[in-house]
Amino acid sequence: MIPAFVLLAGFALALLIVAVRRGDGSAQKAIRFGTGMMVKVIPLLLLAFVLAGMLQSALPPRVIREWLGQRAGLRGVLIGGACGALIPAGPYVAFPIISGVYKAGAGISTVIAFVTGWAMMGVGKIPFELAFMGTRFTLLRILLFLAFPFLAGWAASLVF
Amino acid sequence: MYDEPSGNKEDDMRNITIGMAIAAAALSVLTYGRGGMPLVLTGLKAGGLMLAEITPLLAAAFLLAGLIQVMVSREFIERWLGRGAGVKALLLGAFAGALVPGGPYISYPIAASFFIGGAEIGTVMAFIAAKNVWTVTRLPMEMALVGVRITALRYVVTFLIPVIVGLLANFILSGSVERVREQVRALAGGGRP
Repeated sequence: MIPAFVLLAGFALALLIVAVRRGDGSAQKAIRFGTGMMVKVIPLLLLAFVLAGMLQSALPPRVIREWLGQRAGLRGVLIGGACGALIPAGPYVAFPIISGVYKAGAGISTVIAFVTGWAMMGVGKIPFELAFMGTRFTLLRILLFLAFPFLAGWAASLVF
Repeated sequence: MYDEPSGNKEDDMRNITIGMAIAAAALSVLTYGRGGMPLVLTGLKAGGLMLAEITPLLAAAFLLAGLIQVMVSREFIERWLGRGAGVKALLLGAFAGALVPGGPYISYPIAASFFIGGAEIGTVMAFIAAKNVWTVTRLPMEMALVGVRITALRYVVTFLIPVIVGLLANFILSGSVERVREQVRALAGGGRP
């Protein structure tokens, strides 16, 4: 969290300094646009966080771990990719679940489908995507990305 | 250059809000069924904590999105991330995606500001895919928690994904880009200041 903030705030500060030095109102315009965007999406953002929190308690890690169990092969890849997408949380929650699944005996290709499914298709990101990108983009993005977690798991199964 | 938004953007916004409210309500009911009021409160608390934790990040992200809108000219975005730049635009978008830190509440406002500014849809898809699979800020945690060998293999087998989805998006979706862009612009409050 803190390195991310430092990085973002650093970028923002550098751009802000350039904007202020331009002296043509760019900085004020940027702040106005940023706050405008924020005010506009705040109701959606609040909903998104309620949704993300509810997803976390409706789909606790234990359920996903039990569901996945000991899987391998192409079936493992399919189930792994789908289960990954269902993890509704960030890396701090997802990676311990994934490592638990691996230790429980899942194959490497299953684990890779799992990580990629979570990263590319994770349901936890969708509320935020809807808030900023809208329904059309989100739907197209989901359709476009859908096959890749499985392909990644399948590719990994060729290696191992 | 762009089509005028055709009227129903307030409807879009309202429908998305309503849809998310329904989903939140449905999940709350599901959560209630699983563990009663205490579990619902746990969910609300989890959401609230997440929000509290990332509020400073959010403020920085919105400021950055605003600065990108104002400082990076449309000509610049179109030239480097737009239709004319071809595969270079995809790679640049993907590179930016790999570097952007934080969660989806950071990357999506930035993706939106690129898209509104005139980036091609494949560039934006490549940005998001790279944020998902190339991201460098998550790498140490993935290596620590999932293991170095699996993480290395995971990077290898997913390496081409951002470029592939970008090319696919440009190829398949070029006909509907402006309708998609219009909706993103409406959500951000009508576009550039």
